[in-house]
Amino acid sequence: MRQSMKNGKEDFLMTVRSRMSVASALAVGFLVSVTPVMGHHSAAAAYDETKRVEAQGTVTKVLVRNPHSWVFLESTDDKGQKIEWQIEMGGAPSMAWAKDALPIGITVKVAGNPSRAAGSHGITGATFTKTDGTPVGPRGGRGEYTPPSGRGGGASLLLSRH
Amino acid sequence: MTDFAVWLEGSAVGVWTRESSSIWAYPTVLTLHTVGLGVLVGANAVIDFRLLGFAPRLPIPSLAPLYRFMWAGFAVNTVTGIMLFASNATTKAKQPVFYIKLTLIVLALIVTAVIRRTVERDPALRIADLSSRPGRRLAALSLLLWAGAVTAGRLMAYL
Repeated sequence: MRQSMKNGKEDFLMTVRSRMSVASALAVGFLVSVTPVMGHHSAAAAYDETKRVEAQGTVTKVLVRNPHSWVFLESTDDKGQKIEWQIEMGGAPSMAWAKDALPIGITVKVAGNPSRAAGSHGITGATFTKTDGTPVGPRGGRGEYTPPSGRGGGASLLLSRH
Repeated sequence: MTDFAVWLEGSAVGVWTRESSSIWAYPTVLTLHTVGLGVLVGANAVIDFRLLGFAPRLPIPSLAPLYRFMWAGFAVNTVTGIMLFASNATTKAKQPVFYIKLTLIVLALIVTAVIRRTVERDPALRIADLSSRPGRRLAALSLLLWAGAVTAGRLMAYL
């Protein structure tokens, strides 16, 4: 397929010209693809990771599902208004314990990063404790989390974001 | 569509993908979907970049076996894509970006087929001819469509 020498110059010119169009195609492709990739690696798009919110409430609903489970807490504010806290959990590793460790009706304390949406009561990166301060679930007190023996903690890290 | 989505979400495949806490369920299916994407779009990109003038010493007909990789990647992603869709069908069926993604995939596949036919019809095409204006336009279009499909797919998790 390779052309004889006399086409070498033509090839070179063609390469230079085509590189320009490739560069523009690449630039567009990169720009359109980079934003969601960043979102992929952090919850920062939906939640404010520089802020921390704490609440106490009664578990009303636990949706154990992929890619993220959800825990719903009901509490009452100063004015007697009911608030529903919507807590977005991590990936598959949290599914295994969420249903057992957070039975409907139990009162727990939760701390985590608040949702950026105004007026909402969303939380992610949550840690749970019972009212007496006992951590709930293996990640209840994130700082003290030790991976269960046999299965490394690496999977939890990998799967905590989808 | 809604009835179908409800049925699919409640099907055995939908329930398992969504509700199994096994690492072999959702996490593996999602990972395979990404690997399949890499193979399909990656193999496409090799041919597209070649048509755009990169690696000019590589004879274009010698790249034909890459189409088998594309089909393998496409097959993996069709299966895993149906599973992922089934796990959350009622929500995903309402997302405009899902239909944008499917449309971009169809268009990208058409462009891929056109490129393949163009190359196969004239395997002795000279390098300069192959990297002709129409060839480069097709290759650039292919790259853009695949990048768009990938982007739309990623956005499905956020919109």
